[in-house]
Amino acid sequence: MAKINPSFGKELKKYGAINFNACYNCGNCTAVCSLSTEDVSFPREMVRVSTLGLEDEIQSSLKPWECYYCGECSTHCPQEANPGELMMSLRRYLTAKYDWTGLSGLMYKSLPLTISAFVLSLIGVLYFAFSVNFDLEKMVHWGHLFEMIAIGTVGFVILLPNVARMWWLTILKPGTKVPFKKYVSSIGELIVHMFTQKRALGCDDNQLRWFEHFIMVIGYLSLLFTTVFLNWFSSEYLIVTLFGYLVSTIVFVVTFDFVLSRIKKKKQISKHSQPSDWFFVIWLFLMGLSAFMVRLFIDLDLLESNKWLYLVHLTVLVQWALIIVPFGKWTHFLYRSFAMYFAKLKA
Amino acid sequence: MKKKKIGVYICHCGGNISDYVDVEKVRQAVEGEDIVFLAKTTMFACSDANQREMVNDIEANGLTSVVVASCSPKLHLLTFRNVSQRANLNKYTYVHANIREQASWAHSDNKIGATEKAIHLVKAAIAKANYAEALESNKVKAQKSVAIIGAGVAGMKAAISLSNKDCEVILIEKEPFVGGRVAQWNSLSTTTETGKEIVKRLYDDLITRDNITICTNSEVISNKGSVGNFTLKIKTTPRYIRQSFHPEDLTRAIEVCPVSVPDEFNFRLTQRKAIYKNYPGEYPQTPVIDIKNCTRCGACEKVCPAVDFNEKEEITEITVGSVLMATGFDPYTPGYGEFGYATSENVITLPQFKRLIDEQSGTLVYKGKVIKNIAYIYCVGSRQTKGDNTYCSRNCCTSTIHAAVTAKSKFPDINNFHFNRGLRTYGKQEILYADSLRSGDIYLQSYEDGLPTVTIEGNKTIVKINDILTNGKEIEVEADLVVLVTGMVPRADNKVGTLFKLPKGRDKFYNEIHMKLRPVETVIDGVTIAGACQGPKNIAESVNSALSAATKSYSIISKGELESEPLVAIIDQDKCTWCGACEKACPFDAILKVEDKGKIVAEINNSVCKGCGMCAPVCEPDAINVTACSSTEIMSMIDTLV
Repeated sequence: MAKINPSFGKELKKYGAINFNACYNCGNCTAVCSLSTEDVSFPREMVRVSTLGLEDEIQSSLKPWECYYCGECSTHCPQEANPGELMMSLRRYLTAKYDWTGLSGLMYKSLPLTISAFVLSLIGVLYFAFSVNFDLEKMVHWGHLFEMIAIGTVGFVILLPNVARMWWLTILKPGTKVPFKKYVSSIGELIVHMFTQKRALGCDDNQLRWFEHFIMVIGYLSLLFTTVFLNWFSSEYLIVTLFGYLVSTIVFVVTFDFVLSRIKKKKQISKHSQPSDWFFVIWLFLMGLSAFMVRLFIDLDLLESNKWLYLVHLTVLVQWALIIVPFGKWTHFLYRSFAMYFAKLKA
Repeated sequence: MKKKKIGVYICHCGGNISDYVDVEKVRQAVEGEDIVFLAKTTMFACSDANQREMVNDIEANGLTSVVVASCSPKLHLLTFRNVSQRANLNKYTYVHANIREQASWAHSDNKIGATEKAIHLVKAAIAKANYAEALESNKVKAQKSVAIIGAGVAGMKAAISLSNKDCEVILIEKEPFVGGRVAQWNSLSTTTETGKEIVKRLYDDLITRDNITICTNSEVISNKGSVGNFTLKIKTTPRYIRQSFHPEDLTRAIEVCPVSVPDEFNFRLTQRKAIYKNYPGEYPQTPVIDIKNCTRCGACEKVCPAVDFNEKEEITEITVGSVLMATGFDPYTPGYGEFGYATSENVITLPQFKRLIDEQSGTLVYKGKVIKNIAYIYCVGSRQTKGDNTYCSRNCCTSTIHAAVTAKSKFPDINNFHFNRGLRTYGKQEILYADSLRSGDIYLQSYEDGLPTVTIEGNKTIVKINDILTNGKEIEVEADLVVLVTGMVPRADNKVGTLFKLPKGRDKFYNEIHMKLRPVETVIDGVTIAGACQGPKNIAESVNSALSAATKSYSIISKGELESEPLVAIIDQDKCTWCGACEKACPFDAILKVEDKGKIVAEINNSVCKGCGMCAPVCEPDAINVTACSSTEIMSMIDTLV
């Protein structure tokens, strides 16, 4: 038994859903979807439960994460109901629901709030810089320390509990019985999907997009590793220095292309960008670029006379670590891979 | 009798006949007959070359009649009658023998037998041809006038169309006001005009035309005669209000009337007085006193001098050439408890809902309760699996969605839930469905074996369905109002149909002769049908059929004279003793009981008789002959065959 909640549509529209209630259930979207199977069928079914506002169904579903948004469904929709964008909005909605703090939802739904958070972070950074008298050495030192603390805190306080909530909503609450052995034996699924996003290869004509995304993820993780654990900015090793240049270049070059395609709106997937999408790609681009420039300035001995550059990098970093990673689009990195893991457990 | 000279043509029909019937043998068998002047075989009797040869043969040899032995008369009887006519023979002297369906095809396993049978059939035809008489077609004078029964949108539109021709029109409406169902609707789908505006437009046009007589409050009570000359008696109930009245007096008269009866115009949602008018701009503009419910208290008379209880019922007799039926439909009335109808006060029908949203503004309130969730249950009384109405009522899907969209634009807080069995918003009406989806209406669907259920829990009305669009999941809606989407059924009051003996189809609506090729004619000659009395139709479709029925009715009478086939029954009034057997046997009501030379006898109405021959065998004194199938002709055939 399920009760219809017609006002859910309005809520979902705040997460970016467009016109999905125009759907007349022809099922063309599901028919053209190369990832949909007989057992795990979407997106029509998700459009339907969204129209009816069956929130329990949506919250217990992993299907939104199993879509890798090629956009074929939206292209073929005779009603222009945009099923692809609906799936995207459901992912945002689910991200908000998994987040125990509730901040994700608030930020997805309110641009002014998101901007305020960014401004606050900027003020925080300036205040910090002021308090250390713009001493570059101190700033770099504390900056590096901040990174380590932020990763630990965000990871353990926000992200881990959120993944646990996802597990509760999708496995425990619907009453799926999974033997412990299966948790262990399926763990490979999590690792593989986390580092390869190989499911995206199943999308039609999507090899280039997958490759870009793949090297971007590897580049980003490597940059994270290089700056945090190899302390790139203070490293004396040539190999580390060069590696840092390489990975930061990958990050800003690839994300530059992502930003560009969202501006051009030529592909279905880049036609409807929400603020969260813009922040994610632009900040990733800025991260790569500012990190690259900082190290370049260090190598050219210009940083001391251009402290502002480091401050820019630090601001981007703080905003990234305190806003985008815990409450923004970054989390899809975790939820997508855990969704594949949970799907394996459910199967 | 002058000795006949008959030409016989035996057809190969390519090989259809000659593969099994030895056509040459047949020719030889009949060639020697006394009256046969020539006998030929031909590859295709129907071919142009053979037709020309036949004409030459007839003219050169002075043949008196022709027999063709070929396929079914259904296919080529008219062809060869016309050949005879072209050779200056009377076309009724032609006789057809069917040796394809009745011999070669039926007996393809027995060539000798088939040939033998073909010989018999041809000989019988020759025997008939020996007695075949020259006949002239019957001519009857036809009135150039048409009675239209029902002044709804179909009747009114048909009247206007006919009045453009040289034709008198009598438009007869049972109700006191014109406009029928369309007058009951405000907004209509796919047009910005309201139902009332459409009726006004038609009426304004009608009254400018001299050759249209409008009779409201009038019923046809008897019908005599037939195509070309229907004599109808019309009973007109008075309005009891004189045409010259003071509007304010009348308003007061309505105020003081103590009677209160359910208002059918609002589908019994509201009450009206015994003196009433359905809406301000209604036509004719004079209100009416509903005399059946009037208590004659006299209160209205006191305040309004135009009230006149002395007006009398009138009976008028008219004679018309054709009758156009446009009597419309009734909305289906759900059974007691059908989806909670009559058992829950939150359940109403679609026509009631349409009146409800027309009447209200601001907030939608029904029975004192603010309405938020509305559940529409489709196909109530249509597409029944249990019940007679197996048909689809065509207009209700569109009508419901239109009503839902209208309601939502008028009362933005409502939620519409459509419990349907597959939507049929065909053609341009699909746009409306898309609009409704975009405005957030929710559609739930089931098959006929999983209809939604309506349960009443306290003052809540719960509608449940196993929605096939959500994997058959059980979904429920707590509805403040349940609207049953009722389809169309034939008018409960079918007196006028019975008067004309109009046949009905399995759906109990009036039946046309041929759904595709003769869609507005009935088997009763001269009576055409238009609009929803023929079956569910929307306004556009009703108007379409009205225009074609008007054209058809006019084409019957346009010459002022009707010509009919001379193939009719003939009564030998000397032999007739009037037992009435023939009258009972006649399916067309063509036999009249008349007095002739002081004796009661039967008479045939030639314009109605179809020459079917049902009457002849039941006539004990053998007083009935059917032309072209006279006893002499038939007996001579039988003699040949046995």
